[in-house]
Amino acid sequence: MIDALILLVEDNPDDEELTLLALKQGKILNDVIVARDGVEALDYLFGTGSYAGRDVRLPQVILLDLKLPRLGGLEVLDRVRANPATALIPVVVMTSSSQEEDLLASYRLGANSYVRKPVGFHAFSDAVQKVGLYWLLLNETRIVRLNP
Amino acid sequence: MADTSAPPRTERQDEQTAPERDSAHGPGNGKPRILIVDDSLTVRMDLRQTFDTAEFDIVACETLAAARAEIARQAPSLVILDVLLPDGDGVDLLREIKATMAPAPLVMLLSTEAEVSDRVRGLKTGADDYIGKPYDATYVLARVRELIGVAACLPKPAAPRLVLIDDSATSRRHFQSILESAGYSVVTAENGEEGLRTAFALRPDAIIVDHFLAGGIDGDTVIRRLKQDVTLRNTPCLLFTASAKDGEELRMLDAGADAFLGKEVEVDVLLARLAALIRSGNPALAVDASPSSLLGAKKVLAVDDSITYLAEVSAQLRKEGYDVVQAHSGKEALDLLEVQIVDCILLDVLMPGLSGNETCRIIKKRPSLRGIPLLMLTAAEGHEALIEGIESGADDYIGKSSDFTVLKARLRAQLRRKQSEDELRLIREELLRKDLDAAQARADREIAQARAVLVDELEAKNRELEAFSYAVSHDLRAPLRAIDGFSDALISQYRDLLDDKGKHYLRRIHEGSLRMGQLIEDLLDLSRITRRALSRERVNLSDLALEIASELRAEHPQRQVEFAIAPDLAAVGDRHLLRIALQNLAANAWKFTGKCQCARIEFGVRQQDGERVYFVRDNGVGFDMAYADKLFTPFQRLHGAQEFPGTGIGLATVQRIVIRHGGRVWAEAAVGKGATFSFTLREA
Repeated sequence: MIDALILLVEDNPDDEELTLLALKQGKILNDVIVARDGVEALDYLFGTGSYAGRDVRLPQVILLDLKLPRLGGLEVLDRVRANPATALIPVVVMTSSSQEEDLLASYRLGANSYVRKPVGFHAFSDAVQKVGLYWLLLNETRIVRLNP
Repeated sequence: MADTSAPPRTERQDEQTAPERDSAHGPGNGKPRILIVDDSLTVRMDLRQTFDTAEFDIVACETLAAARAEIARQAPSLVILDVLLPDGDGVDLLREIKATMAPAPLVMLLSTEAEVSDRVRGLKTGADDYIGKPYDATYVLARVRELIGVAACLPKPAAPRLVLIDDSATSRRHFQSILESAGYSVVTAENGEEGLRTAFALRPDAIIVDHFLAGGIDGDTVIRRLKQDVTLRNTPCLLFTASAKDGEELRMLDAGADAFLGKEVEVDVLLARLAALIRSGNPALAVDASPSSLLGAKKVLAVDDSITYLAEVSAQLRKEGYDVVQAHSGKEALDLLEVQIVDCILLDVLMPGLSGNETCRIIKKRPSLRGIPLLMLTAAEGHEALIEGIESGADDYIGKSSDFTVLKARLRAQLRRKQSEDELRLIREELLRKDLDAAQARADREIAQARAVLVDELEAKNRELEAFSYAVSHDLRAPLRAIDGFSDALISQYRDLLDDKGKHYLRRIHEGSLRMGQLIEDLLDLSRITRRALSRERVNLSDLALEIASELRAEHPQRQVEFAIAPDLAAVGDRHLLRIALQNLAANAWKFTGKCQCARIEFGVRQQDGERVYFVRDNGVGFDMAYADKLFTPFQRLHGAQEFPGTGIGLATVQRIVIRHGGRVWAEAAVGKGATFSFTLREA
């Protein structure tokens, strides 16, 4: 499963780095693609924009922040579910938001999990590792490959 | 005097001349019931004749025993009560009536004016009025009507009500029958004074006055006085005369009559004029009948040390329809005025003891008496005496030697002056009240506007606060995670490069970020509790407490804490919020028993002042009650963070939850002796 890819959609460089650190500490050494806003995330997944014409590996799981520049996380989720090529990719919403509306909207749009990022690093690291292990190793997914 | 050993008798047995009380006039017919208690047959008969049986239900007795029996049979509206009775003191019956009956009937004492002290005693015992004998029957009737408020309590007849004033009995009967057969309700009076009082008491729709009235004021005087009275000036007046002369008519109309007719006029013409008059009659002014109305029954206090003069002036004034209260000295007059309201005071200048001028000065100093017109009477008509009298505050000054007609005219003038003053005062008060109402309305409007602005501001502030909460929730947490995460990374990856001091600093950074994180979480909880909609359901608090206890045990397995949770405590409220409240109270108790060998936490309920009071009690360190009022303020802490860590928000959260459930929360504690937190919830 070493070729399984994680797409991390995160605009906060601190959180990005901490997430990567947590994965590393949890010995999850899969490749991680980082998109720093919603548009970039969709460009990667759909092979558009700066990713146009590039051979793209679809991720095994998307870790999606909600509060993002340009295009918000909920809209990214909506577009991902609407596209047959990405509709089945597990999406784990990872956010600082504890707003009830965000949680409900995420599930309605088809999120597979909703994880509130803990403030303490130990708890955060633990959460990231569990999410990684579960979606990369335990869970079985079907990835629809784009036509080359 | 009646045989007192005989069983109580009422008039039905001993007064055959009086009209029988038939059943149609019995109880329940709505007429005021008047009980006359007097041992004098003359008085009983006189009052019976004066009081119209169509207006009142009259019963008369001669002894207290008979009166008590009548009162027990049916409570009267008003009792006319003599004081000296064969079987006792009338004042005793008065006291009984006022002490035991509710509502107590009105009581009018009618007794010999022998001793001023009798009058004072009667009025102090609660009599509604005191009329001295010899009395004027029409005055008694007028007072009874005023006291009972006949005009108010009698059902307004479908037919317009007329007062007919005529001195000829034949003529009265003649016109009364014509008018009654035309559908009017007619009350008659045989002289001008009585007619005025009747009109004042009944407020008729029109008044018909004979121009020539023997032995008293004449028709145009009656009309002039009617037109001066605030309550009657708009009542149409029709003047009758035996001989219609052109010059007469002009004079009558000048006096204020609304119409003028000869007595020989045809019946149709009379009825047509009357109907037209009533149609055009203005409704009476909406001014309350002030007690100073000129035509009401008037009480005059006459003060003189000469019994002869008192008797003479009283007789003269009673003839005019005044009730006269007598006092023989300035001291007696002042005692009387404590209990007796009068409309006018006649005061002799030369008296032993307090002189007239001294008495006058005292009266005019008292705010409650100052307004009563006061006339000084003197034998000496000297220039200086007059000046002294007027200077002591008297309203007028009259020589005793002068004709009584002068005294009567001056008396009437003073009463009229008082009335117009009262009217002006009423008008001023009315205007002032309107001003006040307008000011009040303006103030209300301004308050409403200010409130609307405040509400808008408050809503804007609330929105800001929510936005702030969101920002706190989202934006503050991320940098905090960075602080914690990178300090952690530093510790784990660069441990070997750091000396002990460096590691210590990093630990301090880590702990600080944890505390800040907890603070943010608690603040968000607190704000959510206030905003969250309350759902109400039946909640088993005992189950919640058990869950919380096992969570606390699981979190801190190293501690030994005994929980005593009363079973099956149910309440109606928001399950989620009640859990947070109990959670905070239990966590508090858990924390503050941390240093006890045998910690014990109790949850139960007690009944206090008819309320269910829930409580969480611990045997921990407690606190000084001097700080009890600060407990529920956010961020307020009574213990050092080293000793017992915490954010100081938990109890504020508990309080908000309890308040949202319509309850109260409070704490009792002593240092070293544990604490009890009690709360109530609105019973649903």
